[in-house]
Amino acid sequence: MTLQSQTSDLLPGFDHAAFDSNAVFRALLDAMSRPGRIYDLPVNVAAPDGLNEAATAALLAMADMDTTVWLAPSCATKSACDHLKFHCGCPISTDVKQADFAVARISDDLSFITDLAVGNAEYPDQSATLILMVDEISDRPSMTLSGPGIKDTHSLAIKDLPASFHAWRAENHHLFPCGVDVIFASPTQIAALSRTTRIEVN
Amino acid sequence: MEQTVKNPADGAPDYNFAYLDEQTKRMIRRALLKAVAIPGYQVPFAGREMPMPYGWGTGGVQVTAAVIGPNDTLKVIDQGADDTTNAVSIRQFFAKTAQVATTEKTAEASIIQTRHRIPEKELREDQVLVYQVPIPEPLRFLEPRETETRKMHALEEYGLMHVKLYEDIARHGHIATTYAYPVMVDDRYVMDPSPTPKFDNPKMNDMAALQLFGAGREKRIYALPPYTKVKSLDFEDHPFEVQTWEDECGMCGARDSYLDEVILDDQGNRMFVCSDTDYCAERQDAGHRGPQHHDQPLGTADRGKAAE
Amino acid sequence: MYVAVKGGERAINNAHKLLAEQRRGDKDIAEIETDQIEQQLSLSVTRVMAEGSLYDRDLAALAIKQGRGDLIEAIFLMRAYRTTLPRFAFSKPIKTAEMDVSRRISATFKDLPGGQILGPTFDYTHRLLDFTLMANGEAPTEAPSGEQPVDENMPRVLDDILNYEGLIQDEPVPVDENAPVADLTREPVKFPAGRDLRLQNLSRGDEGFVLALGYSTQRGYANSHAFVGEIRYGTVSVEIEPEELGFAIDIGDIELTECETVNKFKGSKTKLPQFTRGYGLVFGQNERKAISMALVDRAMRANEMGEQIMGPAQDSQFVMEHSDNVQSTGFVEHIKLPHYVDFQGELELVRRMRAEVEERLAKSEAENGTSQPEAAE
Repeated sequence: MTLQSQTSDLLPGFDHAAFDSNAVFRALLDAMSRPGRIYDLPVNVAAPDGLNEAATAALLAMADMDTTVWLAPSCATKSACDHLKFHCGCPISTDVKQADFAVARISDDLSFITDLAVGNAEYPDQSATLILMVDEISDRPSMTLSGPGIKDTHSLAIKDLPASFHAWRAENHHLFPCGVDVIFASPTQIAALSRTTRIEVN
Repeated sequence: MEQTVKNPADGAPDYNFAYLDEQTKRMIRRALLKAVAIPGYQVPFAGREMPMPYGWGTGGVQVTAAVIGPNDTLKVIDQGADDTTNAVSIRQFFAKTAQVATTEKTAEASIIQTRHRIPEKELREDQVLVYQVPIPEPLRFLEPRETETRKMHALEEYGLMHVKLYEDIARHGHIATTYAYPVMVDDRYVMDPSPTPKFDNPKMNDMAALQLFGAGREKRIYALPPYTKVKSLDFEDHPFEVQTWEDECGMCGARDSYLDEVILDDQGNRMFVCSDTDYCAERQDAGHRGPQHHDQPLGTADRGKAAE
Repeated sequence: MYVAVKGGERAINNAHKLLAEQRRGDKDIAEIETDQIEQQLSLSVTRVMAEGSLYDRDLAALAIKQGRGDLIEAIFLMRAYRTTLPRFAFSKPIKTAEMDVSRRISATFKDLPGGQILGPTFDYTHRLLDFTLMANGEAPTEAPSGEQPVDENMPRVLDDILNYEGLIQDEPVPVDENAPVADLTREPVKFPAGRDLRLQNLSRGDEGFVLALGYSTQRGYANSHAFVGEIRYGTVSVEIEPEELGFAIDIGDIELTECETVNKFKGSKTKLPQFTRGYGLVFGQNERKAISMALVDRAMRANEMGEQIMGPAQDSQFVMEHSDNVQSTGFVEHIKLPHYVDFQGELELVRRMRAEVEERLAKSEAENGTSQPEAAE
């Protein structure tokens, strides 16, 4: 395998490394600071087969050789792996317990999420972040969110979010300060659930 | 492709946008996302050496460098003032390395980096307040060992802190902490608000803006998401209270702002002025006048007041 | 009329100009060249490289010139530059056993394979000021070379001689020489810290601090009596193995001082007594630092050896958090920055507390006719 043949079918990463990663990070920071509020993806980016645009942008902005990425089987295409290895230089693991970032589609078997790292009482930051690719994020009141970052309440709806997610999330919230933070990534938008967020399912 | 900026000192080596390399920024950004997800918890990060000394705000500078983008407008204050030497120096640093717009007006800033004050003007949702933090660990003076304080936070064991505050009351009749007054964040973590006067503590509660804290030498980042419950530690029989002044600002006449004492001579004459220079200037622009404002005739009454 | 003091840009720029002027000194005196510093103040250069964690003699010389000879300032300049450098590769472990030795001594054996090589040292100079240097005397006569070349077989005292008999604690080289080594400049330190982090911390730690701690271990604040098993100083080559090549390439030589100490033995009724070890490694020729580092390294192994903690040098959290002179100098000096907002809070509180005591005194005086100075109790 030569570098040439590998790079020839590669999609480009960010147009402007510093500016685009900053813009994407700011959207993620806003989203995590204000759980449930929906932010438009601020850059145009090409997504490899297996990933959508917002998830790709989040990884380009946040992942590098110091972070381990786990991809659900439906996302772990050769082009997705090549794309991340080339642009982020991140190790891609098949062991979900090792993941700093775990990426899956909402239609995937989500049973892996109970294996994600939640940190420990002394270092609750040593936890995984779940990037869940979804078709549509809206502020229809299917969930009512409250907690830090939220004035009164936020409404959030994720298309096709399974009931098992809520069961896991309720347990995850109970682990605080440990826990997993979730980034919902539709092709054009992102929203986040911090581990602090209380969810009422309507 | 990284955006670079000519080193203005000699035009020789190029530095990345906002000085830090992209990998370092990503490391700080990951810590920031954890910090907002665990309000008040100190996230360890691999702080870098910056071109200004530890103690001069390297933590705040690293956080700002990781957050700032080309469309931001930056305000930097030290002791509430935009024109103190270190504030000028940090503002220049970002004006050069990130070529962002800078401002002295609180209302115009999208990012405000601060040392020791929170602006008097209420901050908005579209603003980020970055604090420079010298000692991020509120329990450090009770227990110097990191291994121990980390355990205390893990177990939510904050009895020692309450004992310390209560000893103050027993000895002095007051809680003798006037700045870096510890707060409880979202009923979970005791947090050091950085050496801001306790006057500013109530502003942290339910603030609309995102608050980020960077401690460079101690290599810790922590955060308060907007609208987070921040309560100053106190006791039922000794509720938390903030400083008050009998005087008003000599320049703008404000009675609701934090005042600095200015020594006028060696005869004990002094006056008070707002520590927040933008707040004071804005009030003066709106026509407010304090007793020592130069528009006022300097009558004997004024001198007498100042000499109180 | 009150006018607020402005600490504006002009004041800062003018201060910088004055600083540059003072750095240059009297213009009638020739300006010092960085290559003069690099050649003639070489021990300053290597200290700045060691504590700046960046091996570049020219940059160190520049930093010393720019810092007006203040080595901590120079170290700071190096560190701030280092932080902007991208990482291309990690080197293979260097092999000090294959060092091109300029000096090698052992205090534990009179003679040993490879011999004692005195090399360049201040050790036996009489510390008399040499006024011919002030008069810019002639170049020193060239030192004669040895009659025979240095023995190529220069076994390390601890590994190859003492260990042969099993007299010293075994320190197995990691099986995988590509195993990750911690780097405190890339990841936050967690306590308790492994020995790799502790050694890195000491190697770039302040020479004076490490020296004082090493000294304290000799005076009862630890008990790990040490012999210098070996000091060697010379050059070793640094190799990297780029992924795409698959074999190692030599990228240059660095000058190092290595010290291994042989310390107090341990053992038990069932375990054969053995000597223990301390290790020091530092850029350049700096035996003071290398020996001190080995003493402190050994002291910090107290937990591992099951020893009682008796002094600060054994307390790795204390040592590691206070050894860095760039951090220390920053935080110590930062208290000269304005703190008037905080001080105002303290002023207000002290005045209020004084007023309350005075009020109480006046009240009790009025009631009892006597004053009870509570404050003086």
